[in-house]
Amino acid sequence: MNRKVRFLIASLLLVGAVAYLMYTGVKQSAVYYLTIDEFLVKKDTLANEGIRVAGRVALGSVTKKMTPAGEELNFRLGDFKTDGDGDGGQRSVPVYFVGITPDMFKAEGGSDVIVEGKYRDGVVHAQSVLTSCPSKYEAEAAGAAPASN
Amino acid sequence: MMDVGPLALAIAWVLAIYAIGMSVTGALRRKREFVASAENATLAVWGFVVIAVAALLHALATHDFNIEYVAHYSSSTLPLNYTIAALWGGQAGSLLFWSLILTSMSSVVILQNREKNRELMPYVTATLMVIALFFLSMLMFVTPPFQRLAFTPAEGRDLNPLLQNYWMTIHPPALYTGYVGCAVPFAFAMAALATGKLDDVWIRSTRRWTLLAWFFLSLGNLFGAEWAYLVLGWGGYWAWDPVENAAFMPWLTCTAFLHSVMIQEKKNMLKVWNMVLVILTFALTIFGTFLTRSGVISSVHSFTQSGLGPFFMGFLGLTLAVSLGMLFWRLPLLKSENQLDSMLSRESAFLLNNLILVGIAFAVFWGTVFPVISEAVRGVKITVGPPFFNRVNAPLGLILLFLTGVGPVIAWRRASARNLQKNFLIPLGLGFVTGVALFIAGVRHYYAIVSFSLCAFVMATIVMEFYRGVSARRAMVGENVLTALAHLVSKNRRRYGGYIIHIAMVMMFLAITGTSAFKQEQQITVKPGDTFPIGGYTLRYDGVEPRETPHIAYLTARIAVVKDGKQIDTLTPEKRFYKKPEQPTTEVAIRSTLGGDLYLVLGSFDDATHLATIQAYVNPLVGFLWWGGIVLAIGTGITIWPTRTPARSPAYVPTGAREGAAD
Repeated sequence: MNRKVRFLIASLLLVGAVAYLMYTGVKQSAVYYLTIDEFLVKKDTLANEGIRVAGRVALGSVTKKMTPAGEELNFRLGDFKTDGDGDGGQRSVPVYFVGITPDMFKAEGGSDVIVEGKYRDGVVHAQSVLTSCPSKYEAEAAGAAPASN
Repeated sequence: MMDVGPLALAIAWVLAIYAIGMSVTGALRRKREFVASAENATLAVWGFVVIAVAALLHALATHDFNIEYVAHYSSSTLPLNYTIAALWGGQAGSLLFWSLILTSMSSVVILQNREKNRELMPYVTATLMVIALFFLSMLMFVTPPFQRLAFTPAEGRDLNPLLQNYWMTIHPPALYTGYVGCAVPFAFAMAALATGKLDDVWIRSTRRWTLLAWFFLSLGNLFGAEWAYLVLGWGGYWAWDPVENAAFMPWLTCTAFLHSVMIQEKKNMLKVWNMVLVILTFALTIFGTFLTRSGVISSVHSFTQSGLGPFFMGFLGLTLAVSLGMLFWRLPLLKSENQLDSMLSRESAFLLNNLILVGIAFAVFWGTVFPVISEAVRGVKITVGPPFFNRVNAPLGLILLFLTGVGPVIAWRRASARNLQKNFLIPLGLGFVTGVALFIAGVRHYYAIVSFSLCAFVMATIVMEFYRGVSARRAMVGENVLTALAHLVSKNRRRYGGYIIHIAMVMMFLAITGTSAFKQEQQITVKPGDTFPIGGYTLRYDGVEPRETPHIAYLTARIAVVKDGKQIDTLTPEKRFYKKPEQPTTEVAIRSTLGGDLYLVLGSFDDATHLATIQAYVNPLVGFLWWGGIVLAIGTGITIWPTRTPARSPAYVPTGAREGAAD
């Protein structure tokens, strides 16, 4: 039986190690995933937390500037219902991003994006801005009339 | 064009139900003609699915835009190869393609087993047809591929430009073949549970199938990684995206299964565990298809309902409930005939390998579904990113790498001090020397030191195995080195093919370590003539040239690569603007060498000032990932190639003859 006990201890050690790694891994990389509406309700409690916010870029709110570190991008992120406008900006949040603007990001606004970063001083400082990917393309196409581009 | 497609699908659907009913009834009532009829019906299902696929391909090739699917995923200007690829470019088409592979494999299984495994076969057929029925039902009632539109658009929307890539055309077929291949061992496992024939016949009969499925899963993952690397333009090949994880999880459990069946074959142990693994692997392939196709969990896509999700979840739940229920019912017959003798034994090494692989699969699963779990438990959706996966999987992966060296050469039952010394002294020494050398050379990334040392250790054990085998043959038969090597491998395909696959794994570990520990990246805005350094190169931006074709407008940056004061290359990363549909894409430029890749992206370009933002990456050793894939293919080919000796599984056993002889 001694042998069985040893195998049991070894297995438990392994399971414990995996559990520990997973627990600390979650602590380190947890990011709140919110829609823009949820974010606007909770934003004051989320300062300096990792966040991912899904929303629509307000039409006409995009400004771009070349800087030595890459392209500087400023826009307002609003909800889907008002096409990002958020009733004249009341229900939207400014986003600041320096980096490579994704291909699918429309300069005139209106793209659906997921912004990942931190919320500080009333602005979302984004580390990444993601637009739709191939499988989203699928979902987007469904329902829309084809060849209407 | 008549509506051949929907008709063929409907007939296939009816025949699948017929095949399920007849094979189960035939097995229960011991009517051989029923079973034979069910098998013929299965072949017919395949035939009608082929007709349906042909009909869809015909519609694509003739640009029948009245069919919604054709209008969505192709256009009249799409090149032929991508027109064919559009078959699996969208949802309905990919489910149809899934059905095609599944029914093709089912037919091969039936033809292979006309004269053997007669007791298992009715249930094998029934299981495979239940899976086929599920997919055919989706095609009949949920996402019909031949749905017609009320009007005929003049032109199609075209295939997403991101998918118009060589690797993306072969990635889904490889992955689906891998997914579907896992259904074959699963079906045999179910048949073994149903009949109570729980010896290792079901495992021996499906060994090649499992290996084939595993091989295609490996390829599917690698092709997907290559596509991400070449097309997505963020400098990496793996982002722990849910869709990638979906393809990776069944690979992990399938790898575990491939190893643990050896223990059952040799020692009659781990029988329950093997059942669990094969069930888990199959369930993960369904889960993977579900993840990819339903958009339920996703980082990039918002939560779009495609209508498929609930059906897949239902099928997954049913599969797990039925198969685990049957396993529970047969538990008394699955007693292990041996037990573990010592921690230092091959059995223990294999067991540990299995625990680690399943542990990784569990961690990946947990990270993938974490948003859903956290929302259910705490009401907030929390995602975990690559740091989570890397933190958990890096140490586990390194233990796995270590076991890759230990498992094949440690003694069965109990390793003696002599066995350990003979097999491990030199490799361990070599690994240690590698680590020290790296440290002296200034490497301070400790994971990387451990990983490279383990790579050296594993390679040494494998080389020693080959060396011993060749020396023994030379001494006994007097062959020269190459003949001895060829004979050694061909006489023990499974063993030496396996070693070659292990070499492939070492190569991939080299690549993964190189890119995760020593990757360099820089993002910079430059004007023509500016230079900047990265990873031993100096890059000079020479401006952007616009050019235009009727379909695409190009912006091509010219970047001179200078090393040691000499220009050695010019790289041309591009932006392309597709005109229909209007969509820009990024074309990366890569300079590959043995030591790694220089990878350039043109981020943005300003017409007025001619300023450009360049993103530059140096990815050390990344090439070993793809070369490892080639070695993996060679190793698998050697292992899987048919041997001339007849299969060991017994020939036809009359129904009922085994009744009294159950183990």
